[in-house]
Formats: sequence, structure tokens, C-alpha cells
Amino acid sequence: MNLIEEIDKWGLDDTDRVAYDYLGEKNTYGELKKYSDNLAAYISKLKIEKNAPIMIYGGQDFLMIASFLASVKSGHAYIPVDVHSPVERLNVINQIAKPAACISLADLPQENEIDVPIITLDKIKEVVKQPELENNEFNFVSGNDNFYIIFTSGTTGVPKGVQISHDNLQSFVDWMGQDFGLKKDIICISQPPYSFDLSVMDLYPTLVNGGKLAVLPKDLTTNFKELFATLPKLKANEWVSTPSFMDLCLLNPEFNQGNLPELSHFLFCGEELTVNTAKRLHERFPKARIFNTYGPTEATVAMTQVEITEQILADYARLPIGKPKEDMEVVLVDEDLNEVASTEAGEILIIGPSVSKGYINNPDKTKTAFINFKGKKAYRTGDLGQFDETGQLLYKGRIDFQIKLHGFRIELEDVDHHLDKISLVSQAVSVPKYGKDHKVQQLIAYIVANENDFDSEFKLTQAIRAELKESMMDYMMPQKFVYVDSLPLTNNGKIDRKSLMKEVNE
Amino acid sequence: MKEQVLDILVDLTGSEEVRDNLNLNLFDNGLLDSMATVQLLLELQTQLGIDVPISEFERSEWDTPNKIIAKVENN
Repeated sequence: MNLIEEIDKWGLDDTDRVAYDYLGEKNTYGELKKYSDNLAAYISKLKIEKNAPIMIYGGQDFLMIASFLASVKSGHAYIPVDVHSPVERLNVINQIAKPAACISLADLPQENEIDVPIITLDKIKEVVKQPELENNEFNFVSGNDNFYIIFTSGTTGVPKGVQISHDNLQSFVDWMGQDFGLKKDIICISQPPYSFDLSVMDLYPTLVNGGKLAVLPKDLTTNFKELFATLPKLKANEWVSTPSFMDLCLLNPEFNQGNLPELSHFLFCGEELTVNTAKRLHERFPKARIFNTYGPTEATVAMTQVEITEQILADYARLPIGKPKEDMEVVLVDEDLNEVASTEAGEILIIGPSVSKGYINNPDKTKTAFINFKGKKAYRTGDLGQFDETGQLLYKGRIDFQIKLHGFRIELEDVDHHLDKISLVSQAVSVPKYGKDHKVQQLIAYIVANENDFDSEFKLTQAIRAELKESMMDYMMPQKFVYVDSLPLTNNGKIDRKSLMKEVNE
Repeated sequence: MKEQVLDILVDLTGSEEVRDNLNLNLFDNGLLDSMATVQLLLELQTQLGIDVPISEFERSEWDTPNKIIAKVENN
């Protein structure tokens, strides 16, 4: 059955069932169906380009989810863009994706260059409240049609839009229903922004199964006192987050099974789960099940999983990322794309139904990353992996300069590119600093500054930060700025990032 | 104690400014974010043995070097 129909079914059979709980403000499956039907009917009547995606700009709220569904009900994929995005990112996404329309659930920044019809919040509110229409003829997104498009960091400052089809998502949702022992009716926390594909891990598996999304809004996760006062009220069963967010929660000794007895499942993705984090979590919640998962956005959220049991904790110094889901295949290859011997490390190639068709309107990058491997389409992850004798996949780092910082995927070349464009910067390079646990702790910018009148480095940094903010996502912002007279060069005359990395991480 | 706290802050923020301007707002100026705050609390715990109940953490009480030093000294 189509995923959209599966979600709609709850709205028909159990209208008053709660789908979305935003700090006590609740919306039902009945409302989800009505709102998305009304909106889809409205979109269908607009004279907009068929099959082109719709950009949806907003934060974590119910109308966002209703708009996603309305979009796919009317035959358009959606592009979620978080309300905290800088205006330049909005403009670049608009340029690349050429959307048919833009739904703005928050005020668009002044300098936006969006040149397609804009559906405003006022309009949406009016449409969703209208009486329910009967006999809607919709053209649901299905099969290989795009369902959503999520933009990730690209190496040249130009983001790449990963196209995920209905069937890609179906394959992911089916796996989530089978391999984790999650029951229907589950209450799952919903914490990451919708523009980050980790959010898909809580969103669709929960809605398809008639569960409830308990929202943890961004503001709350930066106000720790409120965060910890809220958590017990959610009565959540399932936890989906990055390990970084868990590290934050574990700082509170009250974060334990005694105070949160309903929590039975913890699912992690987005960055490496360390033994330390998993051990501490297991001590706090001895009865809960903990899962580590792995997968790039290009293979629909995640596609390997392993339950972190006491045995696994005892056996591994660095946790495995698990085994591929049933319908997927992982092949490890060398630089020439030859399969490596069974116990050797190689680049992780992913093959199977959750692999994306490629990046929207970017044939060059699509061709490099999505290759033909022995007659099958494969995604080159750029991640190094190795199978151990039990068939568990071990993560061995990157073969390029992509990093994960607090779960966000960042291309260091992308950061460099943004830095280079700053008027006060002559030359710059970004360097990750690693903690004891192989995880990036901090991003440091080494800068050769142009001549300037600032009387302190601090003021110079503030000026650079302010300029960067206009073009760069928050999470890409270096935490530290170091000013130097010159940057080390390699024999080829390129900036020698590796030598700085060595220096920083000694 | 004050010096040790400032050392931690300089290391986390990469800025000597925190030593010179003890009333600098660390959040408004982009020197600390929520993940760096977590790091700060961890460093205070491991380096100085100071346990700050994170459930009591209100950003407005921790937003300048002076306020952080006062919190640590009263701990």
C-alpha cells in the first residue's frame, strides 16, 4: 500500500487518535487527513508545474507535517527547509531545485529571491479550516516518484539535493517496522529539524504505525532546565537522536529508567555512537533496547543496524555499525572499485532499493557518486568500512574531508569555500579537532586575514562571523578562529590541511 | 579557580577576549552554543571536580565569564 494511504487510514478509522503533540498542544490523525486533503486540493487547483517539487519553509509544527503530506498527495515531492536557514541557502536551493511553489509557514527573510508562487501561512490556515471536501481526486506520489528532497553540504559551497522516492522511503519504513521490535501505538520523540534526514526516522515509521510524535522543539534543547522538566511529561517509548544529544541528556543523573519508565527503545544515527555513551545509557536504562544505525542521506536515513547488548559492549572497543537490512547489500571496494578481500577495509558501496536516484539537477555529482557496479546501481559513500568475522560492519573513517559534527554532515571544502568569500579573509582552511573518542569536537578556522582596522582579533572574528552567518548554516560555523601569517602548503602548492590536522590533534 | 575557569573558556571558545572582558555575553556573541555548553560542564567536572546539575542550568545565569566564575566559586 502507498505510504500516504497507510497514514490516511488512521485518519479514517480512528479520527481522534493523536498524531502530534507539541508540548501539550495536540493534533489528531483526523486533522492530519483533513488538513492535508484540503491543502492538496488547493495545490492541485493552482496552475503550477506538475511533478516539480514544492519547497516548504518552517520549523517544528503540525502544519509542517500536514504540508509535507499535502505536497505528496498532490503529486509533488517536498523540500523541507528549516526556519533557521540563512537566506543565501534558501536562494541557492530555489535556484537548483526550481520548485513549482513555496509554502512558507514562517516569514521568509527579506532578501529572498524566490521567484515561484508563495503560499503563505495565512492562506494555509484558511484552507485547512474549510469544510472537508468530498471525492478528492488526488494523484499521490508513488513508486519511483520523488517523495522528498533533502539538501546536504557539497564540496564547492553548492548544496546537493538528495532525491528520495516513495519506494526508497517505503523500503526504509518497512525495515523500521520489522527489525527493531517497535510496537504500534508508540510515542516517539521528534527532536531533529525536518531538514535533517534523521527526522525521517521518527516521522514516517511513527505515522504509518499510528503512533504519536512528541515534539522537542529546538528552543527547548538549548534551555536545559526546561528540557529536563519536559522529558518526563512526554511519556515517550522511543527515542531517536544523535549520540551528541544523548551525551547532553546523560549529564543529568535524573535521566534514568526510574524517572522515564516508558522509554523502551533508543535509536541512534547521524554520527558515531561511542562505547562510552552506550555504556552509560545502558546503566541508566538497563531494561531498554539500544540500537546503533548507519546510513547516508543518499540511502534513505539508515540501512544497517545492530542492537548494542552487554555482549557487544564487552566485545568491541569501537562499536560496530551493524548488518545491512535484508533488501540491501554492502560491498567494500578499493580505489579502482575492485572488491577487497573479506577481512580488509574498503570504501562502503551501498546497493539496493533504498538508494536514491541521485542529486536533483546535478548530473555531474550524480555520476560520480552513483555508479554502476556489476550491473547494479551503487552509491559510493566515501566512508571506509570493514567486516569482522561475525559479519558486523565496522566504521573506519572517511576517505575525504567530510566530517560529522554533532550529527551534522559537513564538507570541510564547503566551509573553506564560505570562508574564502569573506571580504576580510585572504586565505583560510578549516580543521577538525577530534576528542578521545574519534569524534569531531570542534571546527577550527585557520585564517590569513586581509589588512584591517580592528584593534583586536576578537573584533575581527565577530565581523567574520557576522558575514559568514549570511551564507552559512549555524552548524557549519567554526567554533574557533586562529589567525596566522601564512598557511602551510603541500608539495603541490595546495593548502596543507593534513599537517594542520596533525598539529591540532597531537 | 578563576584562572582555571578562564583557561577552559579560552580553550573552548578559541578567544582570549573572555579574559579581558569578563562581562562578555558568550551566547549572544556566538562563542558558546548548546553543544559547547555541554563541553564546558564536562570540563568543569573533569578538571575541577565541580558538579553542575544540568537540570538546573538556565542559560541566562551562565552567559558571561563573570557569572560562570561566580557559579563555580559558590559550588
